[in-house]
Amino acid sequence: MTWISKDWAMGGIIKGLIVTLKHVFRVGNRPTVTVQYPYEKMPVHPRFRGLHAIDEDACIGCGICEVNCPNSTITIVKHNTRWYPQVNMGMCLFCGICVDVCPMNAMKMTGNYELADYSRESLIYGPDRLLFKKEVN
Amino acid sequence: MLFLAMWTGDIMFENTYELIVFILNFIGIYDPIYNVFEMFGLEYLLRIIIVLAEIAALFVFILLTVMFLTWMERKVVAMVQARYGPMVTGPRGLLQPVMDGVKLIGKEDIIPAKADRWVFTLAPFLIFIPALLVFIPLPFGESLIISDLNVGLLYIIAISAISPIAILMAGWASNNKYSLMGAIRAVAQDISYTIPLALAAISVVLLTGSLSTVDIVTAQSGTWFGFIPKWFIFLQPLGFILFLIASIAEMGRIPFDFQESESELVAGFFTEYSGMKFAMFFLAEYAHLFSVSAIVVTLFLGGWSVPFLSSIPATFAVLIPIISLAAFVIKTYVIIFFAMWLRDTVPRMRIDQLLNIGWKIMIPLALLNLLATAILLTAGVF
Repeated sequence: MTWISKDWAMGGIIKGLIVTLKHVFRVGNRPTVTVQYPYEKMPVHPRFRGLHAIDEDACIGCGICEVNCPNSTITIVKHNTRWYPQVNMGMCLFCGICVDVCPMNAMKMTGNYELADYSRESLIYGPDRLLFKKEVN
Repeated sequence: MLFLAMWTGDIMFENTYELIVFILNFIGIYDPIYNVFEMFGLEYLLRIIIVLAEIAALFVFILLTVMFLTWMERKVVAMVQARYGPMVTGPRGLLQPVMDGVKLIGKEDIIPAKADRWVFTLAPFLIFIPALLVFIPLPFGESLIISDLNVGLLYIIAISAISPIAILMAGWASNNKYSLMGAIRAVAQDISYTIPLALAAISVVLLTGSLSTVDIVTAQSGTWFGFIPKWFIFLQPLGFILFLIASIAEMGRIPFDFQESESELVAGFFTEYSGMKFAMFFLAEYAHLFSVSAIVVTLFLGGWSVPFLSSIPATFAVLIPIISLAAFVIKTYVIIFFAMWLRDTVPRMRIDQLLNIGWKIMIPLALLNLLATAILLTAGVF
């Protein structure tokens, strides 16, 4: 007599249908969660680890970041009579150790995550693309 | 004014042909055209041209609907899953089906080396053409019907019984185990669900005493007690549920999509198809969805009849074909939306569950429904 105890009114299916219908008509707190990515971007967290940026005035070119980089991503190169790190983004693992070890707090990481490129050479970010000048107020 | 007067009169058109002739007459170009054809003794040619024009219009309408349905399906799935769906091509992704079609036309037409070439090529056409032919005896609105066959319902069931053959041809000719498995499943499913489908339809035929779709729709016009529309869903609730489930199973949509169960067989019977042939299977699937929903509406939801249309003042009677067409399309889209909604909600069944439900539950229930209808009809309740 197991067939008597079966749910012949298909209550489970009807329950599920009601849930999906609520999603269709956005009843309750059921918003569309997808972001139309290339046209609109999700906000990036303040401590997001993206492309590096180097404070032009603070960096002393000491090379501690070069020594501490686990993937040997950073090399110190000469740029406008001073020495600055050059970052190969193709090897960077975005660990943020270079930011932590910097004695002058010159290095930081920005929220730029759109780093795809056409060649390995263009992934090497020299000081000309990394430097920024801190605004003095 | 003459137009209005003729419309408000009791002029009824049996089919679209008469409607077109009436409109041509009204504009005043039917006689000159007819005389030109009569000069060469080719009056029948004019009739053939008008009928062909009707059929071309019908097929264009069906294909546009089918393209819209592919977009709608994706949108409904997206809404259920808290996504946007296609958004980029055209306004809210409305041109996405066009892009898909262009892409599929541009693709290479692959025929596997060991496939049965003739059968392989023939199968998509054999599944696509019946999907369109089903619409010929379906009334889209008052006098908007290609041909009012007096065996319309039988014709519909017979024509839709061709598709298992095409599926089996596709599965066999592909020379692929997944295709063959999908085809065998599809045929088993189609055959076992055609029986409750036909039995549920026969209960409606008992009520109307006619197989003609126009008669079935006219029998459903008007209201009971002034507010309940005289639709057969209220006389045949069990028949409606059985017919709906059986037609969803016949379509091969998700709770019953054994013909192309993606997680088990790669894509079922059209695994090996690509390019335009795949597109034909795809379009046939959605044409089938539309036709089945239209049949459900015709049989159980009153077709194009609007319950309170008779209370419309006579001056607006000219709008009746347009109102009836709109009513038909809206009801059909409600059923289509239900099918899509069900697809997004429930998972696939097992093949043994499917056959158990088909043979052990649906057919006895359909027979019971038929018996109850016959007894109540003989007792004079209906």
